[in-house]
Amino acid sequence: MAYTEQELEKELEHKEYEYGFYTDIESDKLPKGLNEDIVRAISKKKNEPEWMTEWRLEAYRGWEKMQEPDWSNVNYEKPDYQNISYYSSPNSSKPKYDSIDEVDPELLDTFNKLGISLEEQKKLAGVAVDVVMDSTSVATTFKKNLAEKGIIFCSISEAIQEYPELVKKYMGSVVPKNDNFFAALNSAVFSDGSFCYIPKGVKCPMELSTYFRINESGTGQFERTLVIAEDSSYVSYLEGCTAPMRDENQLHAAVVELVALDNAEIKYSTVQNWFPGDKEGKGGVFNFVTKRGLCEKNAKISWTQVETGSAVTWKYPSCVLKGDNSIGEFYSIALTNNYQQADTGTKMIHLGNDTKSTIISKGISAGRSQNSYRGLVKANSRAKNARNFSQCDSLLMGNKCGAHTFPYIEASSNSAQIEHEATTSKIGEDQIFYCNQRGIDEEKAIALIVNGFSKEVLNKLPMEFAVEAQKLLEISLEGSVG
Amino acid sequence: MLQIKNLHATVEGEEILKGINLSIKPGEVHAIMGPNGSGKSTLASVIAGNEDYEVQEGDIIFDKANISELSPDERAHKGIFLSFQYPVSIPGVSVTNFIKTSINQIRKSRGLEEMSASDMLKTMREKSKLLGIDRKFLSRSLNENFSGGEKKRNEIFQMAMLEPKLAILDETDSGLDIDALKTVANGVNKLRTEDNATLVITHYQRLLDYIVPDVVHVLLDGKIVKSGDKDLALKLEREGYDWLKTETVNA
Amino acid sequence: MAQTDQDLKEKLISSFFAFEEQMDLENDHHQMRDDAIKIFEEKGFPTKKLEEWKYTSLRPVLNSDFNLFPKEEKSLEYNDIKKYCIHDIDSYQIVFIDGVYSSHLSTTTHDKFDACLMSSFLNRPKYKPLVDKYFNQITPKESMDALNTAFSKEGAYIRVPKEVAAEKPVQILNFSTGSDEKLMLQPRNLIIVEEGAEVEVIERHQSLTENEVLTNSVTEIFLEKNAKLDHYKIQNDKQKASLIDSTYVKQAESSDCEIYTFSFGGKLTRNNLHYFQDGEYINSSMKGVTIIEDKQHVDHNTLVHHTQPNCESHQDYKGIFADRSTGVFNGRVLVDKIAQKTNAFQSNNNILIDDKATINSKPQLEIFADDVACSHGCTIGELDEEALFYMRSRGIPEKEARALLMYAFANNVLNSVNIPELKRRITKQIANKIGVSLGFEL
Repeated sequence: MAYTEQELEKELEHKEYEYGFYTDIESDKLPKGLNEDIVRAISKKKNEPEWMTEWRLEAYRGWEKMQEPDWSNVNYEKPDYQNISYYSSPNSSKPKYDSIDEVDPELLDTFNKLGISLEEQKKLAGVAVDVVMDSTSVATTFKKNLAEKGIIFCSISEAIQEYPELVKKYMGSVVPKNDNFFAALNSAVFSDGSFCYIPKGVKCPMELSTYFRINESGTGQFERTLVIAEDSSYVSYLEGCTAPMRDENQLHAAVVELVALDNAEIKYSTVQNWFPGDKEGKGGVFNFVTKRGLCEKNAKISWTQVETGSAVTWKYPSCVLKGDNSIGEFYSIALTNNYQQADTGTKMIHLGNDTKSTIISKGISAGRSQNSYRGLVKANSRAKNARNFSQCDSLLMGNKCGAHTFPYIEASSNSAQIEHEATTSKIGEDQIFYCNQRGIDEEKAIALIVNGFSKEVLNKLPMEFAVEAQKLLEISLEGSVG
Repeated sequence: MLQIKNLHATVEGEEILKGINLSIKPGEVHAIMGPNGSGKSTLASVIAGNEDYEVQEGDIIFDKANISELSPDERAHKGIFLSFQYPVSIPGVSVTNFIKTSINQIRKSRGLEEMSASDMLKTMREKSKLLGIDRKFLSRSLNENFSGGEKKRNEIFQMAMLEPKLAILDETDSGLDIDALKTVANGVNKLRTEDNATLVITHYQRLLDYIVPDVVHVLLDGKIVKSGDKDLALKLEREGYDWLKTETVNA
Repeated sequence: MAQTDQDLKEKLISSFFAFEEQMDLENDHHQMRDDAIKIFEEKGFPTKKLEEWKYTSLRPVLNSDFNLFPKEEKSLEYNDIKKYCIHDIDSYQIVFIDGVYSSHLSTTTHDKFDACLMSSFLNRPKYKPLVDKYFNQITPKESMDALNTAFSKEGAYIRVPKEVAAEKPVQILNFSTGSDEKLMLQPRNLIIVEEGAEVEVIERHQSLTENEVLTNSVTEIFLEKNAKLDHYKIQNDKQKASLIDSTYVKQAESSDCEIYTFSFGGKLTRNNLHYFQDGEYINSSMKGVTIIEDKQHVDHNTLVHHTQPNCESHQDYKGIFADRSTGVFNGRVLVDKIAQKTNAFQSNNNILIDDKATINSKPQLEIFADDVACSHGCTIGELDEEALFYMRSRGIPEKEARALLMYAFANNVLNSVNIPELKRRITKQIANKIGVSLGFEL
């Protein structure tokens, strides 16, 4: 219980969707719709080199031929892809900021409301933050400190200009541009995102963090993140997401690629709190994300996610365990309330010898929501001694929601050892009464029990995120009692 | 402090309590004894406000206020504490975190500020020392994989932390060996003051050797059939309940 | 290759007309069969594109040369089949040779209960009310089921009336003789266990030669209130015999249905075992042991649909896979909103003996009720190394120790088999399969 002392200091009284405000800043938006010209326009706006434009166009052409998938356990009205604006940039006079003081004060205020005040983060937490608002990267703090170690942490647009060789080599190497419908769409139109490169043998001295936020109405957000950890390096990366309350659905189709070379370790944590829609299920973000990491020899990738937001989530952070002795981990909390739908899980693809993977998934369903775990564990016939342990627990609150488990386990090696367990339960009346007797009311009791249920995963988050995640779980469950 | 008047209660339509009258003053220790199924634990649950039981008739007056309509958490806010016979486990919630939540919720209900982290830690250290509780114990998940003795000690530890006006100990002695029993009883005795009261519910007399009651009540078939001083408990130990049954029938 | 299934489909559809002509067109079932062939026509043979067939391809077992109606009736003597029946117990036997009922090998009954032929059930007017009530009522409208319905003509019919406990088990034995080089069979069974009644059934499909045979069998089972059925399926067929065995069970309140599937052989075996619970306090169990080798393929597709409160289901499937064999477990538990207090357990344990063996397991829970205890577990792995070491330290050589552990692994499903002779027989088969000779029973 590493957080006990921290927890002692934290208590909350937030109501509603806390981050549901709208920042009023002019934005530079492309007309709605998608065709080759729009793709070219995006590329041009970003002043990209020819090869990048071509890459996007290839992705677009692939996407055109693809069908939106419908195998997941979610129902939603498919977005009209011609009625979305694929580029929106906060309209500032300068494309880049040299220091934080130059950032639009209202923007800064937004970040303050988000609880990620840049200055404070800078001073206190020592976290370097890249903020992607709507579609473009706004500012990257701590750049200098990182540069001294040879660490590159910048927007992907900047990386395309400044480090084209790295981008060329790795972009699309883990998630090919036509991997799936949403990844192809992202590859064609991504407007910005984060790029991170950790050189050989370097342990990144601080948590790197990106905050994503959809602001403009009628826009989609398509950010692209690429993290490369060279041999024997280490990085812990945090990703936070928020979006304002809106009536219409907003589309978020991101791609995250992680490359962990020999002996490297990448820890990738997400606290996702896109607007989930209101109590009647109106509005909310469609979160269709492709996240995948590649592990070379002895490398380790660990995905930790706390998913409380979005109207519809479709997301399977995966690990391709290519190198011998590599390790993949997936720790997830997915909480759905009201009319939210989540179909999330992971894929662990064991290709190398002596590879190990762990999956801990905690699903909490309340209201009229549907929460599905979908996972694949695959041990190739050439992968000797593959090991996997999976545990999927579901907690149901009330009788209008659903909790579903769809594990796929494919083993073609006699040396593979795979264990999968799943349980479904509810919060006991006796647990509530026990809490009540100690003066804890029902709502608080439920929050406490849910936090306990999620503990194994919360413990995997970096400290400052763990506190925020607990807070989010509590807020997201409000009104689910009774 | 506590007055129970003509209390009738049912569970799933079956009447368990059939007219209980009981009055406890500050500073007193009362014991309720009785055979299995006489309604002892039901009485404890009903005072604490467990909604599985339906109160058909009668009132529960606590600190001059009728609490019959209050929810269990509201009763707890007023200072009623129940040490459970079978404390439930809450996986992933540490003892510390649970007590902290409990204390701050109670303080909030009384319009008090939250207890500062340093005060909280200080009090915890103090009380855990009093009850001989290892600090490591406080980081474990509440009641999960606790032994019988650990569960009971944890209940008394919470009682020490919350400092209730009325503590109800429901079969706190069951499942304890003699050393554990002494530790628990010792803890209860140390926490006694002139302002608070204790209601001990037990099956056996042995706990009353260590927590000496001012009044002993005998509960038979949902009614208090006899009250007396601590010697009554000794008599029950020697002679059982049969003589009382006959007495009741004859009466 | 791609053409084969199309050709077979065409052949089946054109044969349907011939089949229909043979049957009485005035028959009420004409419409049912006609609807069924339409479904098959639309859907065709299932492919791996379908989620339910993701891990099993029928292509290797489909052949346009299949003969759909055996050319000549071949007769068998009791000695030819003795070893395939549980002959050391007293039982009723319903025997089919190449899909045709063999009266001289069968012992049927109409005394205390009915254990007889589907053909007489379907055609005799006295059964009409029962046919209307039960026949083809719970078979899903999927292609292979529809295909069976279209050609449904013969099979076993068992009905145990109210409060009757069948005095002896019923064996349903299907033999193919290889009189045709390639044969496709479509047996159709119906089992009705009425209120408070009990019966045990043993079912087997057996090819007697190395000729190709594909059996597409459908069994419908109904358990009324308080009824009890133990049903044992033995699948230990020749290398060129394939089986699609679909069993659909509907249970009324407080009934208890246990179905065991022992899959030890055949080229391709697909078991669809679906339970529909229609009442409270129902128990549904399904247990399976699969031990296969070479390139054999066994796919267990199970479904338990909990629609009412206070019911239970238990699934326990063990698999041991050698050589290049592949196993599939696709188990689904569905708990409706009102099915509170459901207890559903699903367990699938597998051992891969060789490096080319594969298991694909997909244990699914879909839960819409909150007050339930549902869990599943799936393991794939090697034998317990500690146990192995312990045994070796007691002087048991490694090979024997491994065999013993595997034997124990598979054997624990057998504990609840209620017919001792059957239990002994299967125990022996398991021991043979694993290559351990035991002078004792575990």
